[in-house]
Amino acid sequence: MIPAQFDYKAPATLDEAVALLNSDLDGAKILAGGHSLIPAMKLRLAQPQLLVDIARIKSLAYIREEGDQILIGATTTHYQLESSDLLKQICPLLPECAKSIGDVQVRNKGTIGGSIAHSDPAGDWPAAVLALDADLVLVGPNGERTVKAENFFVDLLTTDLQPGEILREVRITKPSGKFGHAYQKVPHPASGFAVVGVAVHLALNDDGSCKSAGIGVTGVGVKAYRARAVETALAGTSLDDNAAGAAVAHVCDGIDANADLYASGEYRCHLAQVHTRRAIQAAKARVQ
Amino acid sequence: MKLEGTHELDASPERVYQCLVNPEVLQRCIPGCERLEQTAENTFAATIRTGVGSIKGVFNGTARLQDMREPEHLRLVVDGKGAPGFLKGSGDLDLARTDTGTTVTYTADVQVGGTIASVGQRMIQGTAKMMATQFFTSLAAEAKTAVGEPPPQHGFFRTALRWFSGWATKTLRKILKPQKGT
Repeated sequence: MIPAQFDYKAPATLDEAVALLNSDLDGAKILAGGHSLIPAMKLRLAQPQLLVDIARIKSLAYIREEGDQILIGATTTHYQLESSDLLKQICPLLPECAKSIGDVQVRNKGTIGGSIAHSDPAGDWPAAVLALDADLVLVGPNGERTVKAENFFVDLLTTDLQPGEILREVRITKPSGKFGHAYQKVPHPASGFAVVGVAVHLALNDDGSCKSAGIGVTGVGVKAYRARAVETALAGTSLDDNAAGAAVAHVCDGIDANADLYASGEYRCHLAQVHTRRAIQAAKARVQ
Repeated sequence: MKLEGTHELDASPERVYQCLVNPEVLQRCIPGCERLEQTAENTFAATIRTGVGSIKGVFNGTARLQDMREPEHLRLVVDGKGAPGFLKGSGDLDLARTDTGTTVTYTADVQVGGTIASVGQRMIQGTAKMMATQFFTSLAAEAKTAVGEPPPQHGFFRTALRWFSGWATKTLRKILKPQKGT
């Protein structure tokens, strides 16, 4: 339970953090909330030479509106997202998702950027940013670039972040018109991680039919993914039980479901179908 | 833990088989393999530095080839351990001829223990699948070259890069460490 020796730097600005990270691409690691990295270090599963702590860069934690966008800084904690009155009004999926993460201590320290960049196969934020079709802003030694959430998650614990790059901001287009959100999750009884987690964003036409759907699924595969087949099947329907039931049958299409001691792949897929249906129903019921 | 999978390769079963029993090819294909030496007939010792995301570890182990029936079947028995845990198990590889090349089907039964198994249990299967895919992607590139031809560029480049970055890191650390102490 004692980590290997490492150096620690707490830069004051993001530029400094990028420079420090690039001073030792092999051995340096970004520390934000530390709720995945520190346990791995204590078990010596991860032994970085240098920790670059970005949680102390105050200008990286924010939630604000800008035009039709919601901008969220990478080191915004789960608790800040959970308790944001602004988000509760304009994008309730985010506070709902935040509320389901771990426990109070985890939510007070853990950050949205850390969770997304770590890309735990059972992390909650990846599902939410996929459902909302978020853009992720990455900064590296050669400047900034923006990646769609869908293209960001590459494989198990593997993202499009290149060595030397830091996730800086999450950008979400403000939901408009008639829309409803829901996050449904089966938490692992010990860890609180999602055995299955489904985030749903529904946009409705004036007649109540489905204009478009965004569905992010976590816990099932090696990475969180967008259930495109379900989204397509829902579009244009009245979102009644028949339509939702038929659509959710496709939630595991093309996915090699995880199996571990707690849940087999088949069980996970079944849970994913049940909870996608429930999330669709809940999101529909909340449409304003 | 049971592992299963199939991979399509664009080369004849004979060529794929040759690659699978060639230590030099294997070293280039196994993700993070730093050393692979033949210690006896069909027995190899290996050092593998591998990981996903921030989780990394060095494993030392042996691999034995059994039930060798060229070019359709071989059995691999592995036993390894490292700081994060240990693994041992065996797997069967079946090579079937297809119109475009070879289908490799593998089934393996592997026991993983130690820290990695107690805390990383939910990710072990995903990690294994990811590495198998990396291995077979590299193997597919290797198998496409004819016997005696130089190995594929990306494999060579990666090996050279890995060697260089390892060397550079070690050298830099050697230079930097004493100064830190003063």
